[in-house]
Amino acid sequence: MSNDKQRRLRLVSSGEERACADANSADRTIGAEATRDIDWTILMARAQDGDTASYLRLLHEITPYLRSLVRLWHKDHWDAEDTVQDILLTLHSIRHTYDPSRPFGPWLVGIANRRAVDRLRRRGRQALREAPLRDEHEGIASPSQDSDSMLDKHHLEEAIGSLPPIQQRAVDLLKLKEMSLKDAAAETGLSIASLKMATHRALKNLRAMLSDRGDS
Amino acid sequence: MDTSDLIQSLAANAGPVTRLRSPLMRATGWLLLAAALMALLTVGHGLRPQFAERMRDASFAINMLSALLTGVLATIATFFVSLPDRSRWWLLLPAPPLVIWLSTIGYQCFDGWVPIPPGAVTVEAASSCLATLVLTSLPLSLVMLVMLRYAAALRPTSVILMGSLAVSAITSSALSMFHPLDATAMVLGWNLGTAVLFLGAAALFSRRLSN
Repeated sequence: MSNDKQRRLRLVSSGEERACADANSADRTIGAEATRDIDWTILMARAQDGDTASYLRLLHEITPYLRSLVRLWHKDHWDAEDTVQDILLTLHSIRHTYDPSRPFGPWLVGIANRRAVDRLRRRGRQALREAPLRDEHEGIASPSQDSDSMLDKHHLEEAIGSLPPIQQRAVDLLKLKEMSLKDAAAETGLSIASLKMATHRALKNLRAMLSDRGDS
Repeated sequence: MDTSDLIQSLAANAGPVTRLRSPLMRATGWLLLAAALMALLTVGHGLRPQFAERMRDASFAINMLSALLTGVLATIATFFVSLPDRSRWWLLLPAPPLVIWLSTIGYQCFDGWVPIPPGAVTVEAASSCLATLVLTSLPLSLVMLVMLRYAAALRPTSVILMGSLAVSAITSSALSMFHPLDATAMVLGWNLGTAVLFLGAAALFSRRLSN
């Protein structure tokens, strides 16, 4: 059994080495790919025999290659990474189906394409039943569209308009524009104490006016 | 989970595995099992009356031989296409005998339309046919299912349909040896119909589960 395995491995190696020699004269890249495929074939054959170090090395070596393959199908980083993990899991579960007398590359690419297409289909189904989140899907409507808020705002503006001019100015600067007492004093030419007093009275008046409205 | 963590855990759990034999060898094993089953059933049932005489009838002989060839080639195609590095073109392997087989079914339907009087095909005869058909195809389907379970992760639909065709064709040629009624349509309906039913249910449920 082990002799047969070695023979088969030699067969692949000699074939690939010949291919490598031809390729070197024509194109170095093809030669490098062929060498890499032989390495992976040997590593996978050892992994099938229970050599965990070879298996670990193989999985580490194929992962960047798988990422580059998967990026042809999936642009999103997380989709691509999930697909790579799917491929690794599938490879692990069906590693007994690999025949070391055949090149490793097509076997790996067959699994990779299958998993990438599966994820594309799943994404397609999700895209069909999902819609982008828009403003109209928000649970809380914007204040400008709320009729109650509009009514309250109108009442408040009306109440502020009926205040004496100094109190109006104090509320506008300190409460609506949220200026500091110092800035508001500089703006109006009034003292800080006068501004505090005007604001206090304005709020008292507003409270009285708005509660009257609420009661009526 | 991070990919490098996944790799570490996969490598840590990787024991030695028994390699699959070549697809041709496994197809041969399954066909030998089918032949043994056919032989057992033929011994149990006995050959149909006037089998030798029927074999002289060209349309019957072509029907039976094309069904048998379809079964053999579909079995080979199923085992090849179940592997990730084999081409999908293998699915076309049983196409030529399949075309001949289906055309002979059509011819027989057309030819036998007038001579068969109403009531010639009885419920008893048809149910006996169905019982034999289930007895033949069920063990073959189960064995093939076990042999090809790894294909679930790769090309389940094509493998199931091609496997069902293989079982149908083998069962049909077996039935025509010891059954007086031509049950090809029933055999195809049973095997491919069941396969399509299961595939439909699987597609429906997998979508619901993934939703």
